[in-house]
Amino acid sequence: MTRDKIEEIKTKFLEEIKKEKSTERKKKICKKYIEEELSSVFCSLKELTSEKKGEIGKMANELKKIILEEMKQGGEKNRKEKGKIDVTFPGESPQIGSIHPLTKLQERCENIFSKMGFTVVEGPELENEWYNFDALNFKKDHPVREMQDTLFVKQKNRENLSEKEKLLMRTHTSCVQVRYMEGRKPPFRIIVPGRVFRNETTDSSHEINFYQLEGLMIGEKISVANFKSVIGYFFRELFQSDVQLRLRPSFFPFTEPSFEVDVSCSICKMKGCSTCSHTGWIEIVGAGMVHPNVLENAKVDSSKFNGFAFGVGLDRVAMIEHKINDIRLFYGGDLRFLKQF
Amino acid sequence: MKFSYNFLQSFFKKKLPSPEKLADLLMMHFFEVEDIEKKGKDFVLDIDILSSRAGDCLSHMGVAREIAAITGEDFVMPETKIKKYGKDINEKASVEVRGGCLRYTLSGVEGVKVKSSPSYIQARLKSCGIRPINNVVDVTNYVMLETGQPLHAFDAKKIEGEKIIVRYAKKREKIVTLDEKRYDLRDSILVISDELSPIGIAGIKGGIVPEVDKETETIFLEAANFDPITVRKGSQYLKLRTDASLRFEHGIPLELTKIAIDRAVSLISQTAGGQVFKNVVDYYPEKRKEKIIHFNIDDVRSVLGTAISYKEVERVLRALNFKVQREKDLFSVTAPYFRIDVEIKEDIIEEIGRIYGYENISPENPKEDIIPSKENNFHIETNCREIWKGFGFSETYNYSFINEKYAEFFKREELIEMEKPASLEFKFLRPSLIPGLLKNLQENEKNYEEIGLFETGKVFLKKEGEVKEEKKMAVISSTDNFYTIKGKIDSFLKKIFLEDISYTECEKRTFFENFSSAKIIFQNECIGFLGKLSQKVRKEMKIKSNPLIVEFDFSKLKKFYREKVEYKPIFKFPSLIRDIAVLVPKDVSYEDVQKKINKEGGLVLRKIELFDFYEGKGIPQEMKSFAFRLTFQSKNKTLSSQEANNLQEKVIKALEDVSDWKVRR
Repeated sequence: MTRDKIEEIKTKFLEEIKKEKSTERKKKICKKYIEEELSSVFCSLKELTSEKKGEIGKMANELKKIILEEMKQGGEKNRKEKGKIDVTFPGESPQIGSIHPLTKLQERCENIFSKMGFTVVEGPELENEWYNFDALNFKKDHPVREMQDTLFVKQKNRENLSEKEKLLMRTHTSCVQVRYMEGRKPPFRIIVPGRVFRNETTDSSHEINFYQLEGLMIGEKISVANFKSVIGYFFRELFQSDVQLRLRPSFFPFTEPSFEVDVSCSICKMKGCSTCSHTGWIEIVGAGMVHPNVLENAKVDSSKFNGFAFGVGLDRVAMIEHKINDIRLFYGGDLRFLKQF
Repeated sequence: MKFSYNFLQSFFKKKLPSPEKLADLLMMHFFEVEDIEKKGKDFVLDIDILSSRAGDCLSHMGVAREIAAITGEDFVMPETKIKKYGKDINEKASVEVRGGCLRYTLSGVEGVKVKSSPSYIQARLKSCGIRPINNVVDVTNYVMLETGQPLHAFDAKKIEGEKIIVRYAKKREKIVTLDEKRYDLRDSILVISDELSPIGIAGIKGGIVPEVDKETETIFLEAANFDPITVRKGSQYLKLRTDASLRFEHGIPLELTKIAIDRAVSLISQTAGGQVFKNVVDYYPEKRKEKIIHFNIDDVRSVLGTAISYKEVERVLRALNFKVQREKDLFSVTAPYFRIDVEIKEDIIEEIGRIYGYENISPENPKEDIIPSKENNFHIETNCREIWKGFGFSETYNYSFINEKYAEFFKREELIEMEKPASLEFKFLRPSLIPGLLKNLQENEKNYEEIGLFETGKVFLKKEGEVKEEKKMAVISSTDNFYTIKGKIDSFLKKIFLEDISYTECEKRTFFENFSSAKIIFQNECIGFLGKLSQKVRKEMKIKSNPLIVEFDFSKLKKFYREKVEYKPIFKFPSLIRDIAVLVPKDVSYEDVQKKINKEGGLVLRKIELFDFYEGKGIPQEMKSFAFRLTFQSKNKTLSSQEANNLQEKVIKALEDVSDWKVRR
């Protein structure tokens, strides 16, 4: 083993490296030189004199350094190239669930009304005739009691039971008006979101159970103008647009005066579309000034206090917002629907 | 109700606004017009007359009066001219009312010629969906559409005796109605009878016996006011609803019988000739009392929230035919006879508001103080939902009902049954959320392999005769095993700060597989259940996967839910880790071992993790192996390696003190 031999290996190596472009193959060359050429150099060292050993050994080590350096550089460059991310490659998503659209809507409504100082209140879904009808000024044996297709509970000797014992599935969230006011002192500001029931054959716009949001505000000298302001704020916040409102006369036994509230169609900007039946307006709220009989039934002095109540059909609002054309989708549990929310 | 535009026009001298414009006006000030349809030379307006105004506005006259009030046009009453009267009807007939009737007015025409009615009457009837029959019957229907008062005509010759009796039916009495249908009556049904038998069902439908036909010469005309509840119950019992019964059920003004009968005899004599009997037979024992309603201008202003003027209030009420008197701020008003719906001052305020126009009231923020409430706790539900959503579960809503098939899983006496549900799918109230979730799972298996669903909602059951409504939260998962779902429950409860949860085996429970389910315990109270779905149910429901189900009692979650927790200082000193593997007999539970370690480890034992579990080859058959990783950390100092070793030894010794337990070294 001579110095020339090592110089020769060095020249050969540098030439080979120069010619090669691929970092991958450059690396292979380095590996080959270390494993084959250099190892044979080191092996042959033991045969040399100690003086020569030192000299050749030093040279061999220097060459090894050069090769290793080349290998490292190539590696770095390689790593840089390898590290380039294909940003169009699909990501790996963790499983994430979904919240029902009616829950989401309900929560949004709760937040909006909370800002106006309304408390969220709950009431039973399985009600009795007193709170569902009598307390709300529905007269006995009057056709208005049939306006809503009530779903009654099967009970033995029902005729002989008192109104508070006769059970039914609440037809509206309005029952909670009297339930809440009883035993409390005005002023009141509450909303009652919840499930209500009608004994109807189901189709794309009717369900046996659906959701309402009841609102009630009782105080001294509450006016129709106040109602317009509260309900207007609610819908502007809910639809995040400057919707218009209009009040039309209507009739409910538990309010006097009573009105329907129409909201301008934000989908077609009142130009007319299928959602608003080409009228530019959407009917979503029944409302009115609470009938004094209802206040008296809840032991609230109607000569001192008054106020308004309203009921919003939440399913209808959600259907409008998400352009859902069949109410039954809400209650069908189909993940292809649910996962979209 | 369907209204004829031409008919409405007949009450006005001036031309009415176009049907579309009229519909808009009515909608903003009266009731909704649901449809406008052109029918020949007429338009049909379908107006949704709500119950409060059924008394006066199931009639063209009523709606015309509304139009007059809204537009300010003059309303003209239809004329009732009779050239010459004949004999006094009181000589020909009498009326005896035995009950169920508030007023009964009888008149008649002698010498009529029954033929078809004039074309304008026929056209208007057709517009309103009534088939023309002959000039007498058509007039009774026409006047009903005009005034809202149902009328009935009898052929006087076909009546036995000279007396018309209003009475309740006798047992086993029958009647054949004009449409030749036979009805079995009962003693709660009111009938019109001659001296022998019923000739009509009061307020509902006439009998065939005294039918007016081509031979008829003398007619009697009935305009009555029957008790609304009697008519309603009779109509429900007989399952017979008619234009007449609809009006009586809601109640109609008492004054109307005389007005309608005068109008009818005048029209009959015009179209069928003959002489109108002089006078009427009129049973009218209790006259309607006029009611004066007092209110202050401030009542109106504060309820409507607008500074409406005295003049405007007076104008509106007069336009609606109210008598108005005012002394300074105080109004005294009397409703016209036809407004039987008006009782209190709020009714008056509504009249003012709607005619004045709600669009003229500007929104105004409430001046009331806002009193913050302590009762808002709805976010608890929101948080619970969000956590399960984070685990990859989707929220679902199911019906509050179950059918017979699911009912079989429960005790019949605990179920609440519905009276005549629209579909048998809704026969019982759901006593659990699980049936709904099972159905969802089964249906989604067609499209998904990994299914995770949850629902919060009310369930209903009878316990010891008491009806109970409870809120639950339930979860179903097709991908979890017992321990992964248990882990999720732990994380869920930890997030709402329920710590130190324990699980105990659960005895037989509907839907859960025996020996594969557990109670979830917090502070000695069972807050829920988890387990595998019973194989039996799984097969019956044709569920492909092997799902895990979880059920929480929501009231308990709410009760224990915490938001505020005390911060635990973060330890500054390093921790040391020691592993221990122990062989224990198979009937020893994880908890037995874990408790033992915990006890020996003392305060500096911060964490015990099970990092391996093994049974099978290499260890005795009756044994299993737990491998624990113990983390030691002191809050006061850096633990030395020796201290950790000593603690580890202490734990090992305690474990080995139990006979049959063996620590693997």
